[in-house]
Amino acid sequence: MVGKSEPINGTAKSQPPPSPLSPKSPDLLSGYFSFKSLKLKTKQQELLIRVSILCLVYILAFVTRLFSVLRYESMIHEFDPYFNYRTTLFLTEKGFYEFWNWFDSESWYPLGRIIGGTLYPGLMVTAALLYWGLRFLRFAVHIREVCVLTAPFFASNTTILAYFFGKEIWDTGAGLVAAALIAICPGYISRSVAGSYDNEGVAIFALLLTFYLFVKAVNTGSLSWGLASAFGYFYMVSAWGGYVFIINLVPLYVLVLLITGRYSMRLYVAYNCMYILGMLLAMQIRFVGFQHVQSGEHMAAMGVFFLMQVFYLLDWLKHLLSDTKLFQAFLRMTVTSAVGVGAVALGVGTASGYISPWTGRFYSLLDPTYAKDHIPIIASVSEHQPTAWSSFMFDFQILLFLFPAGLYFCFKRLSDATIFIVMYGLTSMYFAGVMVRLILVATPAVCLISAIAVSATIKNLTLLLRAKTKAPQSASGKGGSSGKAASKGSLDQSQPFQKNGAIALLFGAFYLLSKYVTHCTWVTSEAYSSPSIVLAARGAHGNRVIFDDYREAYFWLRQNTPPDAKVMSWWDYGYQITAMGNRTVIVDNNTWNNTHIATVGRAMSSYEDEAYEIMRSLDVDYVLVVFGGVTGYSSDDINKFLWMVRIGGGVFPVIKEPDYLVNGEYRVDKGAAPKMLNCLM
Amino acid sequence: MAPKLESPNPPHADLPPSGIASVDPLFHILKVLPFAFLRLLRLHLKLPTLTLPSPMTVYALVLLTYFMVVSGIVYNVIVEPPGIGSTQDPHTGSVRPIVFMPGRVNSQYIIKGLSSGFMFVLGSVGIVLMDLTLDRNRAKSVKTFFVIAGISAVVLAYVMSMLFIRIKIPAYLS
Repeated sequence: MVGKSEPINGTAKSQPPPSPLSPKSPDLLSGYFSFKSLKLKTKQQELLIRVSILCLVYILAFVTRLFSVLRYESMIHEFDPYFNYRTTLFLTEKGFYEFWNWFDSESWYPLGRIIGGTLYPGLMVTAALLYWGLRFLRFAVHIREVCVLTAPFFASNTTILAYFFGKEIWDTGAGLVAAALIAICPGYISRSVAGSYDNEGVAIFALLLTFYLFVKAVNTGSLSWGLASAFGYFYMVSAWGGYVFIINLVPLYVLVLLITGRYSMRLYVAYNCMYILGMLLAMQIRFVGFQHVQSGEHMAAMGVFFLMQVFYLLDWLKHLLSDTKLFQAFLRMTVTSAVGVGAVALGVGTASGYISPWTGRFYSLLDPTYAKDHIPIIASVSEHQPTAWSSFMFDFQILLFLFPAGLYFCFKRLSDATIFIVMYGLTSMYFAGVMVRLILVATPAVCLISAIAVSATIKNLTLLLRAKTKAPQSASGKGGSSGKAASKGSLDQSQPFQKNGAIALLFGAFYLLSKYVTHCTWVTSEAYSSPSIVLAARGAHGNRVIFDDYREAYFWLRQNTPPDAKVMSWWDYGYQITAMGNRTVIVDNNTWNNTHIATVGRAMSSYEDEAYEIMRSLDVDYVLVVFGGVTGYSSDDINKFLWMVRIGGGVFPVIKEPDYLVNGEYRVDKGAAPKMLNCLM
Repeated sequence: MAPKLESPNPPHADLPPSGIASVDPLFHILKVLPFAFLRLLRLHLKLPTLTLPSPMTVYALVLLTYFMVVSGIVYNVIVEPPGIGSTQDPHTGSVRPIVFMPGRVNSQYIIKGLSSGFMFVLGSVGIVLMDLTLDRNRAKSVKTFFVIAGISAVVLAYVMSMLFIRIKIPAYLS
């Protein structure tokens, strides 16, 4: 227990300056009484240090996400959060039943959208509950403030959860380091900054919660933890479409445990409880519906569920039978027939169409070239591009070194919990390599495993420091390997050299961690704190120019157009127009109807008379386009135009991409293709 | 699997051990149709026994996969960037190679990705080496070698990675 206070101290040193509490409190304490006179036992000292570190980390995680609120104002960023904000507003005004049954005729004109059945309500309900809670305590907050600050609040909660998870997997030192790492990791900050009111802010908390509860259930085998993990899974399903990751990782983990011979009653209880209850709860969300029994993506969980029953049966029979040879024969026949029956059932289900195949979004994760050839909408989103090394470095920095080292430590000390974190880390890193957006899902795993590496290395070094010249029977180190005692004996000869070396290495480790902190703060302030709706640029004289054109345009729409006007624009801006402009749009970010989007793309890229016909048929009154030529804004509609052509051409072969190119090159000046010059855009 | 090998009895083989003729119709059909003229070989086939690899073998494979993923292999397959970029020197007209793709953060040339991935793996191998020195009962010279190699690997990897990112993102203040 004594050895543990050193790594915790070491972690405390690498905290950055914004912690004005810690210099004050020792002064206060020494003013009244000192630690010595308080006679705190070591255990209480350790508890105090741990709690204070966790409090500091909690505050740090919240504070570091507030850059854009301080620079601009408290507003919602980007595109998707505006839809979430609009639905949360509706929920708080009209109540839950109206929200659940809402049919929105203001978007996707003339089709409308069944909002109650096509969204994940977790985020909205969470924000609404926070809002009602604060109102109950008579804090008169506006729902917008609650929405803006939901993500940092849940990021802070995630750090506490990471502490408990690290404690479960390795020990408290690793838990504290994991909490500190995940508080500032840029991969997580990118989607949970204040103002980014999106599903992922809450979903990562739910993901880690489900995983923690499940690992706890497997470790203890208790039914209550299994029940808790089922409810954690329900929260995750209600929050984000990425729950498919959980429902595939957990069966894969169970399968790996079965293969490595770690079947036990605890695993049986934990998995069955979580699967059955979780599946039943997940079906309450209308958007998910019956997918758990019908969709191909969820079949792995069902297959492993039946396999677990087979294992239980075999275990019970082994217990009853006394003849081992007979049992071996029976085992072979049963496993073969079970697998055969399962394969036949799967085949019949898939062939008859009851089990739907993997949807395009998730299939492109397994086969990355699929989206490029078949589904241009998925390929066009910049977040769905595959990851280059620089994105990894940008988001993780030294964690990229520590991750394989942590894997090494996990492989050295294999247990049910470390196998889980290894699998989570490997699968999530692969998916992070496929799509930039999924670096977010990999972040908790990378932070946890790196924390194991940091904690184990620092523990080694401090044990070297504390190695006294006694008889080497104190095997109070890691793992209790017998070679350690002998190696301690051989270390005693070059004692001072070892001590100096260990001190130097400790300083090196602290230096690396402090560089990590500097990097994270720089990345957060420069790259991830810009609300895309307010843009900043350098003016002609180098001064910083902030232009608010988007919001001004939407307010112009709101104030100067008739209330039932219909606006046609590219789908990127749909959510913002409905939320801020309060007008009906033709297509928006939900992109659920490819043909409708292709119609708009066709209208944008046809000659003006054809486009006029299409727009009359859609009852369009206004067209909104974004042009960045005056200010040098580079992601405007001219840049996106080729995607409009591709998507329109995907459905209407009339639109051909080579018509708009000159010698294979896309030009927009006088030398552009004639079709390009004369089209609506 | 054991029961299945025994059922198609060769025509010259023994009758069922009970001494009476078998009542199995399939046995009689098979006795006549293929096995009147086919003779069964006495083979001793065994299913290959699969043993689980040791954790360190799996770890080596994992390290290799990690190297490939972090070097951006998926990016290379989909976007197909060139191995190395080139630009024309404005004055001399000769072609100069560019290693870092300028412009966006999320872009790379293949060779650059591989060398960065190598740096990351080098750093982690350094940490592993440092841990190996403390753990095993090896000769002292081997342990000193491990320590020095480990520390130098980590330092080198960290310095090189910082250099790479400084070149890639010119505004990197760190």
